Amino acid sequence: MKLMKRALPVVVSSLLVAGITAGCSNNEAASTKSKKGGESDSNKPLDITIMMPSFDQELADENSTVVKKLEEETNTDIHLRWTPNDTYPDKFSITLASGDLPDIMVSASSYVKAAQSGEFWDVGKYIDDYPNLKKLNPIIRQNASINGTLYGIPRIRALGRNGIMIRKDWLDKLGLQEPKTTDDLYKILVAFKNDDPDGNGKDDTYGMTVSQFSGPWDNIQTWFGVPNEWGVEKGKLKPYFEFPEYQEALDYFKKLFDEGLINKDFAAMPPSKWYDDIQNNKAGVIVDVVDSAHRIEKELDKLEFGENSTAEQQEQKTFMTALGGVADPDGKKHYLPTSGFSNLLLIPKPAVKTEAELKRVLKFIDQTNNQENQRLLFHGIEGKQYTLDGNGYVVATTDKTVLKDLQDLNQFQTFIPEDLTIKPQQTPLREKEAEIQKENEKYVVGNPAAGLISETYSRMGAQLDQIIDDARIKYISGQIDKAGLKAAIEQWKSQGGDQVTKEMNQLYSKTKK
Amino acid sequence: MRKWNSTGGKIFDCLNYVILILFAVCTVLPFIYIIAGSFATDAELRSRAFFIIPKTISMDAYEYIFSNGSLVRSLGVSVYVTIIGTLVNMFFTMTMAYPLSRRDLRGRNKILGLVIFSMLFGGGMIPTYMVVKGLGLLDTYWALMIPGAISAFNLIIVKNFFQELPKELEDAARIDGCNELGVLWRIYLPLSKPILATFSLFYAVGHWNDFTAALLYINSPEKWPLQVILRQVVALSQNVVAAGDRLDPNFVEPPAQTVKMATIAVGTVPILLVYPFLQKYFTKGVLLGSVKS
Amino acid sequence: MKDASSSLEAMSEPALIVKPNKRSALFQSLKRDKWLYLLVAPGLLYFLLFKYLPMWGVLIAFQDYQPFLGFWHSEWVGLDNFKFFFQSPDFLRLFKNTLILSFLNLVLVFPLPIIVALMLNELKNALVKRGIQTLIYVPHFISMVVVTSMTYVFFTTSGGYINEIVKNVTGHTIPFLTDPQWFRPLIIIQTVWQTTGWSTIIILAALTGVNAELYEAAMMDGAGRWRQLWHITLPAIRSTIVILLILKLGHFLDNGFEHIYLMSNSLNRSVADVFDTYVYYIGLTSGQFSFATAVGLFKSIISIILVLGANKLAKKFGEEGLY
Repeated sequence: MKLMKRALPVVVSSLLVAGITAGCSNNEAASTKSKKGGESDSNKPLDITIMMPSFDQELADENSTVVKKLEEETNTDIHLRWTPNDTYPDKFSITLASGDLPDIMVSASSYVKAAQSGEFWDVGKYIDDYPNLKKLNPIIRQNASINGTLYGIPRIRALGRNGIMIRKDWLDKLGLQEPKTTDDLYKILVAFKNDDPDGNGKDDTYGMTVSQFSGPWDNIQTWFGVPNEWGVEKGKLKPYFEFPEYQEALDYFKKLFDEGLINKDFAAMPPSKWYDDIQNNKAGVIVDVVDSAHRIEKELDKLEFGENSTAEQQEQKTFMTALGGVADPDGKKHYLPTSGFSNLLLIPKPAVKTEAELKRVLKFIDQTNNQENQRLLFHGIEGKQYTLDGNGYVVATTDKTVLKDLQDLNQFQTFIPEDLTIKPQQTPLREKEAEIQKENEKYVVGNPAAGLISETYSRMGAQLDQIIDDARIKYISGQIDKAGLKAAIEQWKSQGGDQVTKEMNQLYSKTKK
Repeated sequence: MRKWNSTGGKIFDCLNYVILILFAVCTVLPFIYIIAGSFATDAELRSRAFFIIPKTISMDAYEYIFSNGSLVRSLGVSVYVTIIGTLVNMFFTMTMAYPLSRRDLRGRNKILGLVIFSMLFGGGMIPTYMVVKGLGLLDTYWALMIPGAISAFNLIIVKNFFQELPKELEDAARIDGCNELGVLWRIYLPLSKPILATFSLFYAVGHWNDFTAALLYINSPEKWPLQVILRQVVALSQNVVAAGDRLDPNFVEPPAQTVKMATIAVGTVPILLVYPFLQKYFTKGVLLGSVKS
Repeated sequence: MKDASSSLEAMSEPALIVKPNKRSALFQSLKRDKWLYLLVAPGLLYFLLFKYLPMWGVLIAFQDYQPFLGFWHSEWVGLDNFKFFFQSPDFLRLFKNTLILSFLNLVLVFPLPIIVALMLNELKNALVKRGIQTLIYVPHFISMVVVTSMTYVFFTTSGGYINEIVKNVTGHTIPFLTDPQWFRPLIIIQTVWQTTGWSTIIILAALTGVNAELYEAAMMDGAGRWRQLWHITLPAIRSTIVILLILKLGHFLDNGFEHIYLMSNSLNRSVADVFDTYVYYIGLTSGQFSFATAVGLFKSIISIILVLGANKLAKKFGEEGLY
């Protein structure tokens, strides 16, 4: 019974603790926060707690040299609250519920309701006072807002990341050019299937690989001119699938499926298997984020030259080429952008109580965007976490104990107005990827309703989207015909779609004014 | 052992062997594939749908996993939590199951009702988190052991097993002057070795595989158990998934597919080794011998 | 959290209900069984603390719960969440899909570990017996993500092993993964593959309790294999099976979210959508704790009816039941 002796005190004492602390959770935050400096002692370092997702296990802590340096630069006293990315949405809700809020927290998708109820500062009113933050890209600003209000500083990502990647060596072998239009693309897919592009004499290749993931369809239909989520017709919002281009795109998809130019069982293929065929000499085209090109290239290099081949060997042959997209049959380019940001840095009102405090927190965020601090948070300290080689490229240290001081600190980087970090040495393909991302920004189709959130959509959105997405896949695979497609759209309308359209138009006309 | 010599009996025995062996092969082949895959290259995994011996042996996946500085420490955490946690589980479960197996205990049905009701209605994540927080268990190993100290399911089955034990022994022990603790310790537990083994295994595997509790309740990465680390290793190696959120300037691409398989091997093999040690208790009856003595 | 501590008091009452005229009787039994009560105390405390203290969470089914507002300030919406659920145009389809899968699970998956355990029990070679036992419990450790991904590799029409065989025999492939007809059989096969060996352990443990003397006596009476099985083995593990069955009914409507989610796709969703996945899709967009809790509560109520009903039925047939 030794165990009992040990366990009982634990249980009893825990019970006592429960009696004392249960119900006090809301007071804790208040008591810890009172020490925050107001305007009077603005020379004192600002006490700032940041909650953000982590990916690694050896993370920078308050003794980190990088954090210390940033504290000096920004006159702050930084406390880091790491939460594994895996559980971040749960922890986000729990943190809101517990009332023990940090000064800055990275948002999770469930933040919208809390924001609309005034839990976070409306930073949109203030950011124009800050040299970096005021240069926030207006498209991203709109995407990151809720019904016109910006509740946090978005963490910027490339807007034009999407593209198409094609086997360059297959094109060359068959004497084909890179495609310019959707028709060219179709011809290439046919050739990849029928003309033995790998030259092994076997009928073992096909055109484009797709999986359960809906991204490729969304991208390609945008090339045909289908609006991004919502289109505007006579000053009113209309869902994308009610535009004639949508039917045109779907018929194109169906043709690809019927002629065996895409993998037949794609609807069941887990996204983790999606890249297998293109990395395995079976498929010649994939539509996804354009920076995948060099990853595919690397796998094909290994396949061709062996697992341990050298860089010189690998440079002998280029397998991949990438494009931002192709033009519609009339020669016009419209590409699908990404949202351009990945979550916001929210500033909760219970933690940051006054406007004066808010301004200091915003100043801190603004300062992290200075070139020097961006590099500090991304690369670390020169001579410690990285060195520069003769050409000015970053060479990171491999010493994990030193890297620990930097690990995942870039999670509170916002990169406004732009990414000012130093690039590592690039292969031509990687340079091309970067060019495409930049170039794509000219052709991306904005969502006119970005940042508008309808009540009905926030309740049933996922369900409604699924009706349309499923119908698209069923149509491509031949499970339903045009009538079935129409029926699905009717179903969407009656189950809440009409209501969503109505609400969105109300919001749209309000923000237009 | 019982022997059957009729023709029918022999046919049955043969069929029995064949069916069970076939079933065993079906269950274990995919696992062998995972182990083999963990030693293969990504290219081979893509090109061959199934294999038992890889063409090129590669340790890259294991090198990648073990290059993670936290792995060995987290293995220690997992072993510690599994052993101590299972002891805590067994203590709470056995002490509660024994009185509840006594039909004459006043209030027994009410307590049982309470237990069963708790299986069907739960407060959910946030309220439970508040209790753990209120008890001051956050970021301690206790948070991985105490909130799941008793599985109602296991408790009821153990209670049921206890009920089936012959009452004569208990009476004999009582005549010898044992109190209730003595009866539990000297009679019930020794007679329940298969049960102890079974539920120790259930609890131990539960602790070993658990990552949700650690993700919710443990903030310090140095206290994370193996499964959390392995999940992160997999997430980090799948750059396509995390691309939008993770910006690692020093990212070196690991063999994503084989890493996935190697993490399964690393996460599973240690706990699989426990089974044969406990197994002898499930296969042999202990009742007969003890009844006679 | 104030409500939680008061519910703690409320919940501890039934266990120690005191009526004045029975006070001395209670005292007597307390005194007699003091050791038993002492033993039951830590466990009881555990249930009160970790199961009943947080149970106020169930009430958020009747709220529009927002974490930052907390339980006290979230808006009460009565039965709105339930109405939304029941009036959903998909409700009947979801209910039907859930019930069919649950039923198949009960009828096809539940008995298998018992049969396998009994078959193992008939093996004479101890080494083979142990070997098989060890092998069949391995799948328990393989996560659903990996199971479904392997299923794809085996069953896909683009070169999957199973489909290659099917093609060689019949001349054409079968779209196992996308044809709604094949969804349920695949789910059941995967479940059987993954859980049978593991669930066998508990039956094997129960089988060790069979008194070997009974077999010896039966042999002397000339009872054959089937009669021994029927008259000795099965009765000995019957109460365990009954308990397992009743407890299983407690999770009757749980289909395993992850499993269904991973196996469903655009082409088979008409049969794949169940309550668990529906909650996920609805909750996905706005973190609707209340809605998820309401659906959970609905499932719990069905479960409690099933459990109590089954328990009563078991008692009618002379079984001990749960209590």
